Parts: sequence; C-alpha cells; structure tokens
Amino acid sequence: MNDSTGKAIQVEGVCKRYGHVSAVNDVSFDVRHGEFVSLLGPSGCGKTTTLRMIAGFVMASDGHIRINGRDVTYLPPEKREVGFVFQNYALWPHMTVAENVAFGLKLRKRDKAFIRNKVEESLAVTGLSGFEGRLPRQLSGGQQQRVALARALALEPQLLLMDEPLSNLDRALRVAMRRELKKLQQRLNMTTLYVTHDQEEALSMSDRVVIMSGGEIVRVARPLEVYEDPQSEFVADFVGTTNFFDGIVSDIGEGVATVKVGETLTLRVGNRISAAPGSAVRVLLRPERVRILAERREGANMLAARVDFIEYYGPTLRYTVALPGGEALFVEAHDIHGSAQIGETVWLSIEPDHFRLIDRKGAPAS
Amino acid sequence: MKARNAALLLAPAALALTIFVILPLMWVVRTSFNHTVDGAYMVSAFTFENYTRFLGSGWYLVNTLWFSIRVAILTTAISVLLGYPVALYIAGTRGVQRNVLMTMVLSPLLIGLVTLVYGWIVIFRGGGLLNSLMIALRVYDEPVRYMWDLKGVVILLVYIGMPYIVLSLLDSIERINPSFVEAARNVGASRWRAFWSITFPLTMPGLYAGLVIVFTLNFSAFAVPLMVGATDTQMIGLVIYREALLNNDLPFASSLSVIMIAANATILLGMSFLFGKLILNRLEAKR
Repeated sequence: MNDSTGKAIQVEGVCKRYGHVSAVNDVSFDVRHGEFVSLLGPSGCGKTTTLRMIAGFVMASDGHIRINGRDVTYLPPEKREVGFVFQNYALWPHMTVAENVAFGLKLRKRDKAFIRNKVEESLAVTGLSGFEGRLPRQLSGGQQQRVALARALALEPQLLLMDEPLSNLDRALRVAMRRELKKLQQRLNMTTLYVTHDQEEALSMSDRVVIMSGGEIVRVARPLEVYEDPQSEFVADFVGTTNFFDGIVSDIGEGVATVKVGETLTLRVGNRISAAPGSAVRVLLRPERVRILAERREGANMLAARVDFIEYYGPTLRYTVALPGGEALFVEAHDIHGSAQIGETVWLSIEPDHFRLIDRKGAPAS
Repeated sequence: MKARNAALLLAPAALALTIFVILPLMWVVRTSFNHTVDGAYMVSAFTFENYTRFLGSGWYLVNTLWFSIRVAILTTAISVLLGYPVALYIAGTRGVQRNVLMTMVLSPLLIGLVTLVYGWIVIFRGGGLLNSLMIALRVYDEPVRYMWDLKGVVILLVYIGMPYIVLSLLDSIERINPSFVEAARNVGASRWRAFWSITFPLTMPGLYAGLVIVFTLNFSAFAVPLMVGATDTQMIGLVIYREALLNNDLPFASSLSVIMIAANATILLGMSFLFGKLILNRLEAKR
C-alpha cells in the first residue's frame, strides 16, 4: 500500500478558521511510514485541531491532507481508515470491553470467529485478557486507556492518531504507559501521530517533534535538535528551561564571538555565528550547561554570581543566581555536596559552545 | 444525631405526602368496597360489587380501560416520534435560537390548560381556521371533525405531552460525550449507524423518564377528554370524574381509581423491566 512518496501523512497548507478566528494557519508537515511524530505545543496552539482534521472530525478550511498518498481532505471520518485514541478514551459506556473492541470489526462484516480472535488478540497485546466482559466504568483510567488502544489496533490501521492519550493518568502510570506505548509502536512498526502538551512525552517517544504555537508550526526537528538547538525563543522557553540574555555582537574571532550584554557582562560565544558585528542577538543558555564553582578557575566564561535562591529537586538542585549587572540566571547542578549557600558568591563556568544565538528581530543594532 | 437532623429535612414533605396522598388513597381503597344505595348515597360495607361491575363488564374493559391504554400508548408514541428529532435539534443549538426553541417547546406548560384547549378549539372546530384553510386550499371539501372526537383528544394529549419528552431527552442527549460519536465514526460507522448504535441507546434513560411521565399523564387524562372528547372517548379518568361528581357513586369511582392505579403501576413495572434488561442496567452505577 506504500505509495512512491513513502509518506503516511502529508499535511499541505492546512488552515482552520472559525468565523474570523484562525485556529490553524497554513500548517504543512509529513509523517513517514513507521515514524512516530509528536505535535507539541501549549493548549490552544492548534495541535488537537490539526489532528482532528486528519481524522476527519473537523473539516479543513483550506489546504490538503493526504493519507498514504490519497487525498482525504473532504472524506468523512468513517472513510479514512485511521486509528484514533481520544484523551478521554471515549469508550462506549453501554458496551463491554469486548463489544467496544469488536464494534469496528462488526461494521466491516467480518465473521464471528474472526472477530472473536481479533478481539482476543488485541486485548492480549494491550494486556487486558480476561477483561472482555467488563463495562468501561468498571475499569481504572489506565485500563480504559488500554481498551481504547485495543479498539484502535483491532482494525489494523495503517496509521494511529493519538490525542493526549496519557494526560488523564497519574504520573507514575503515565511514565510506565509511555514506555509501553513506545515499545508497542516499535514492535508493530505503527505510523503514529501523537498530540501532547507534555514536552517530556514528546522528547522521549518521538522520532520527530512538530512544535506549534498560535496555530502555526514553529519547528519540526528530532527531539535532540529541538532541545539542544531550539532556534527560537518560543521553542527554547516551551521545551525545558532556558536563560535569555539580550546583547550586541561586538567582535567575531576565530570560531568565537564576543557578545556584550548590558554594561558589565561580556560573553564568549562559540561557533555557528551568522550575525554580523553590531547586530542585536538573544543568547540562550540551558541551566544544566552552567558549571557552578566555589573558586575562580581558568575558562572562556568565568562569571562571579551571588546565590539568591536554591530549590532542591532530588536528583538536581536549581540555583537562582544574580550576576553583577543584575541579570538573573537559573543554574541546575547535580552535585549537591558542598553546595553553595544563599548569599554566597560563586563562580559560573560556561563553555562557549553551550550558548545558542538567535536573532532579535526589530531590536536596535546600536 | 446527624442522621436524625437529616431525617428532619424530610419531615414537611412526609407530612404533606401523608395528608394529601397516602390518607386519601387509603380512603379511596376503603371506599371502593362500600355499597351505593339506589345510586344515591353510600353505606359502609365490604363488597367486591364495584370491582365485578367494572371487571365483569366487557364494555367497560374494552371502552374504558383498554381504550385508555391504547390512547396513552398512541399519544406517547407520537410524542416520542415528534419530540425526539426536536430534542436532537435543540441539543445542537445555543444562545438566542435555543431560548426561542425552548420557549416554544415549553409553551404548553406555560399556558393554562383551559386557555390552551380553547385556543385549539378555535383552530380545529368545524368552521375553524384549519378547516377553512384546508377547504380554501382545496385539500378537502367538507370540514373534518377534529374536536369532540378522538382526533382532538390525541392531538391535544400529544401537544401537552411533548415538552416532557423533549426535556427529558434533551438532558440525556447533552450528557453524551461528543467523542463517543466521533469514536464510532472513526471505526467506520456512518452518521446514521453511529446514531443508532451509540447516541440512541445512550438516550434511553431520558426516553424512559419521559415515557413514564407522559404515559401516566395520558393514561389518566381527564380534562382533555372532558373538553374535546365525545361519547366514544370514555377514558378512565373521565369515567371516574363522571361517577364521582355527576352520578354521586363514590364507591364505584373509587374502585375505578384503584384499578387505574394498579393498571398503570403494572405497565410501568413492565416498562422498567424491559428498559432495564435492554440497557439501563448497564448504564446505572453499580459497583
């Protein structure tokens, strides 16, 4: 069934408008066969609307959606042959677990023995054997989630769409289900498009992440690239925690540029600099990329700072420190022994390569 | 002490129920065994003659009890057939449109019954608006007898029963999570199939509540058959009224009341069993 493009989903210039309000604006991306792609963004960013347009629950106002090369933009949902797992599971409350899973097979007029086997097999895959006769309300949230998954898998869809399927579970279960889901997806080589607002879920499960904001795509990249090289302030801020400095490029040397931030702070920033001297840039720095030292050592960036606040997270400590110019900075450290106290002065060491630069559009390049 | 304080909350209602329902009902049951002398006054007795007079008479059984059941079934069924699509439609509206529609649906409950019936008479009587219009449009030539006929009774009972059906169905429809229907569409169900397999079964609690109310009201209807009925629309409520207030035969009226209540209870029990078996037992919280 694979068409020549090798694309399971192609979303091309898709828009969704409600009156004058634009929920999704000119969104384009692909999902390849066997790939796990996440749509990640804050609530209201249009990720769920995009997923629902692919499933056919919402009609696109503009653009095209192709599934395995076939244009499905105007097809009703029942003609699209995609699996869908809902955030609230959407199990039919008047049907047993087995009836829920069998419903789609019955609609396809498969014979009884086939349906029975398929239901058994799907429930076995999701670890629910023995629950056939239960009603949805007699199951826990995690079990209901598995039934929803079994119901989708029973139809052997070429494509699985999931709308925040784990967000109603408590944290421990969510993490366990995340791993299980990913393993299952890999075993079945199931093309999956997964909507989530949880960056941890998106980073840990996906082959690629599509980040959305305000109805538009901000970035499409592998999880590692998204985190390490956010390329925009929104991505940097939404995925993980980031320190920002607004500065002016003052000098570009051999693989290292100098950025002046305010009156007192000068940063030595590593490679991949496209900005010309004098241009306004925003410098991004992940808190865990800063080393915190008790004494001054040699280094490209060695900054004195005063500890203002300390939060203990278990595996890590987060310091809020103030630089002499008044800039506040988050620093995350694993070493909790001999840690600094509030009010003490410490030294921060930052490798030039750990900074990321982005343009500050419209800022004066004085 | 908490339980006792809570029980106190029920006291006023329990008192009212005892005075206005339970005691009169006991009195009715007792009276139904009394004897009427020369169709004029009642003497205390313990006789089944009032029951045998009704149950032993084929005419009463067919023209009153069975007739009332048939009218109640017919009018309830028509109310459901008309009310279900209305409830579905209203569930999809909001704002001003919804308020206008709700007001229209509820209007029979907002206007007094007598005003309402006389309004309908103006429209449906021999030379009324409907007949004039139909004759003018040449749909038919002779005026059709709507009022003072079974047609009028059915039309009015349907009209008055509709709001209860629509309201109770609307409540059920709006409880249905929209993703239930989407999930059905997703696994291959057409709009039509999703309705019959998902939406319809899930509205059974509302349909059942509406059926119970409307069937009971229509089975025991008295004002509507009195005002627009004819000699051949002897619904049981009307017969009770006539025996009690016109013929002054309280024992016979009482026995009819007991039979009416028993028949209604039997039918409702049957309905409860049927609906329970079909679907409600699955939907009810049972842990």
